[in-house]
Amino acid sequence: MRRLTWIGAGLVAAALLLLPPLSGFHPYYLYLVSTALLFGTLATAWNLLAYAGQISFGHAAFFGLGAYGAALASLGRFSPWWAIVLGGLLGAGGAGVIGLASARLQGAYLALATLAYAEIWRGIAHNWSEVSGGGAGLIGIPPLPPLPWLPLDFTRGRAGSYYLSLAFLLVVLALFAGILHSRLGLAFAAVREEEERASLLGVHPLPWKILAFALSGFFSALAGGLYVHMVRVVEPDLVFSRYFSILPLVMATFGGLHTLLGPATAALGLYLVSELLLQPYVPVFHQLPYGLALIVVVLYLPGGLAGLLPSPRPSPHRGEGR
Amino acid sequence: MSLTTLAQTLASGALLGCFYTLMALAFSMVLSVTRALNLAHGDLIILGGYLGYWFWSGSGLHPLLLVPVAGAALLPLALLWQWLFNRLPEPKELSSLVLTFGLSLLLQNIMLALWRGEYRLIASESLTGSIRLGGLRLNQGRLIVAAAALAAVGGLYLALTRTRWGRAVRATSLDREAAALLGINVDQATRTTFLLALALSGGAGVLFATLHYLYPAGGIELTLLAIVLTIWAGVGRLRSVLVAGVLLGVIEALTVAWSGPRWRELVVALLLLASLLARSGGLAGGRSH
Amino acid sequence: MALLEGRGLSMAFGGLLALRGVDIAVEEHQVVGLLGPNGSGKTTLFNILSGLLRPTAGQVWFHGTRMTDLPPWKISRLGIGRTFQIPRPFAHSTVFDNVLVGVTFRPRHRYHCPQDRRRETERLLGIVGLAEKAAANANELSLGERKRLELAMALSTRPTLLLLDELASGLSPKGREEVIRFYARLKERGLTIFAIEHSFRVLAQVADRLLVLDQGTIVADGRPAQVLGSPRVVEAYLGEDDHG
Ligand SMILES: Nc1ncnc2c1ncn2[C@@H]1O[C@H](COP(=O)(O)OP(=O)(O)OP(=O)(O)O)[C@@H](O)[C@H]1O
Ligand SMILES: [Mg+2]
Repeated sequence: MRRLTWIGAGLVAAALLLLPPLSGFHPYYLYLVSTALLFGTLATAWNLLAYAGQISFGHAAFFGLGAYGAALASLGRFSPWWAIVLGGLLGAGGAGVIGLASARLQGAYLALATLAYAEIWRGIAHNWSEVSGGGAGLIGIPPLPPLPWLPLDFTRGRAGSYYLSLAFLLVVLALFAGILHSRLGLAFAAVREEEERASLLGVHPLPWKILAFALSGFFSALAGGLYVHMVRVVEPDLVFSRYFSILPLVMATFGGLHTLLGPATAALGLYLVSELLLQPYVPVFHQLPYGLALIVVVLYLPGGLAGLLPSPRPSPHRGEGR
Repeated sequence: MSLTTLAQTLASGALLGCFYTLMALAFSMVLSVTRALNLAHGDLIILGGYLGYWFWSGSGLHPLLLVPVAGAALLPLALLWQWLFNRLPEPKELSSLVLTFGLSLLLQNIMLALWRGEYRLIASESLTGSIRLGGLRLNQGRLIVAAAALAAVGGLYLALTRTRWGRAVRATSLDREAAALLGINVDQATRTTFLLALALSGGAGVLFATLHYLYPAGGIELTLLAIVLTIWAGVGRLRSVLVAGVLLGVIEALTVAWSGPRWRELVVALLLLASLLARSGGLAGGRSH
Repeated sequence: MALLEGRGLSMAFGGLLALRGVDIAVEEHQVVGLLGPNGSGKTTLFNILSGLLRPTAGQVWFHGTRMTDLPPWKISRLGIGRTFQIPRPFAHSTVFDNVLVGVTFRPRHRYHCPQDRRRETERLLGIVGLAEKAAANANELSLGERKRLELAMALSTRPTLLLLDELASGLSPKGREEVIRFYARLKERGLTIFAIEHSFRVLAQVADRLLVLDQGTIVADGRPAQVLGSPRVVEAYLGEDDHG
């Protein structure tokens, strides 16, 4: 029964997601929804790291590294598609480096370290002008070329960019689901729940934590690379902006930590409420929902929205039927 | 860099350090009593600065007179902060960080709404002159800020070490339950700590606004500075905070003198990361002394 | 040479000396019992042996390799498994996953096929009698069930030496009987067991040797009959048995 409900909900969601471009949305709305989907990806990537017990306040670092990496590679005449992958690898590397800090720091102090790390990269982007273009950033980033087998226009506000963000989110969700059911997911959960106990069972926590950082950083950086190829500029204060650290954190905790669909759902909901309902009427307060959502979660909803569902979603490693 | 300029830079950094000390004390007071990290600390200071600017541009009063006014203006927020912090789930360090990340966002939005993201400075003429001291020329504004900050720090030191209230606050921060068992009114101690800490933040904001341009997103850097100082000095150790604050002010001044102001934020973030890694026991580690 | 050997182990917590120069040796395929009043340092000794604590003085050898400074995961991989006096499962994971972790990440007797890992997990759950609880969350278990889960988790890494911390305490008489049978079965399988028990009735039936710890020092060491007959032990324990 439950399974059918989920499949039904999935189909409805898929239909809703496929419809907007077909029904002739205004490009601005398409752009908004594409961005919301990218935030969904970012929130899911953030949640992957949280699944391994590591709370990041610095995902802007990974997003921005991906954005700069992809922009530089693209400007260096790599195919934009490969450039995005290179940016992803740069983000994974950058995330792995700060993951090393988890050997010494935990919880709030690791979170502070990631916060500082994102500020460091923002500072580097500001100051290393020869490479990053300094505060003005880089312009003239080429658009994503149509694929031979998929002739779509992927620039901002087009159906192509919408489908691309959607496909990317679905791929990351599928990978996340796969990871939860694999050895990786088992190790991540063990490290998260009781690191010491896990290590008594032969699990060396550090490599798993670094791996979680690298994976999460990789997906976030891919999102960054996609983003710059849609907006076609990159600036330190744009891509290393604290919002790319705060928003995935808000969305994932509000949607439900460690759940598969919660973060992406909350990302879509919060972002669209903020941009569609608040931005047009009270623009200065359009970020209000994020701050309020965070406060509500911390004080009243320890499990996020997913905690409100009637019964907890089954853990991926349930014993029966496997 | 000539010797005089170096001395000049050191002196001016040390003066700035006195301000940092005041700011960090307000942060670590809340931390020691509640075990909560207030990421919105810097935003509160900026808010105090904007309020000070607002009063100043409206009244033309001397900025020093506006320090207590801005401090008082933040008192209602202190009660809100305490109400929120009382409800934090465990682990408090982490949940407070998440909560105040949200509060910081809200404060920035409010400031954006009220002051439209414009850069503001309390450019009072009474602060612009400079004073010769030996071979050094010290900016009068900085001297006044440092003196005001030191006065506040000194007053706080006396209050914490010499009064009943101070004993209650120190006992509460050492061990809440034990303090309550000894008949200390820990709730009252906590509330007054919040009130005092936010009043100090608001006042510090006015001082800050006479030195630096305000902008709504500028708070995070102050928060990071406060955390660095708290790591260096340990929680609740006033004299070490002063030493650390002056050191940090000097480091900042040297950075700016050598490589320009663009490097300031980067250096602050690097200092924070390095300090966290070097002192991996957590901030409360300093409390056992 | 003994399988596990500790020499001159001391542990200070601030001013408190929890262990004062303890020497221990556990021979292969034996069941060695560790007795001692509350706070005598038994769990502290286990924490050192499993790598959670670094002793302030002294060394530990396992199979002749020195392991005093090794991290817990390396010690686990050498073949030492342990249970906790107060069970410490992964509370929000299923009982099945709790055991699957050790089965999946052990370096020896590793199964490469997930099917085999699952079968092995089911087998272990069967051994401790938790097969029907596989899908429950660990925090839904009763105390007795959690103790069994502890045992299954300790076994999941295929240890050669088991450190069991008060497996029988807090259980009903029937539960204790079961624990005694467990000890015998585990020994039959060739495991070496170093077990803390509060109740020496449990240990007297299964142990080959008993050690008694009091205020951080070993005060008796020998065959159960010898040790339990010694006046000092009788004095320390009289009437304690039923509290355990
Ligand atoms: N991590 C620690 N920090 C400080 N003191 C500790 C710590 N662990 C144990 N102790 C102290 O060391 C002493 C020995 O404790 P331990 O847990 O080893 O006793 P035990 O023999 O296992 O007792 P019980 O029968 O109650 O389990 C006790 O006084 C205890 O309070
Ligand atoms: Mg014990």
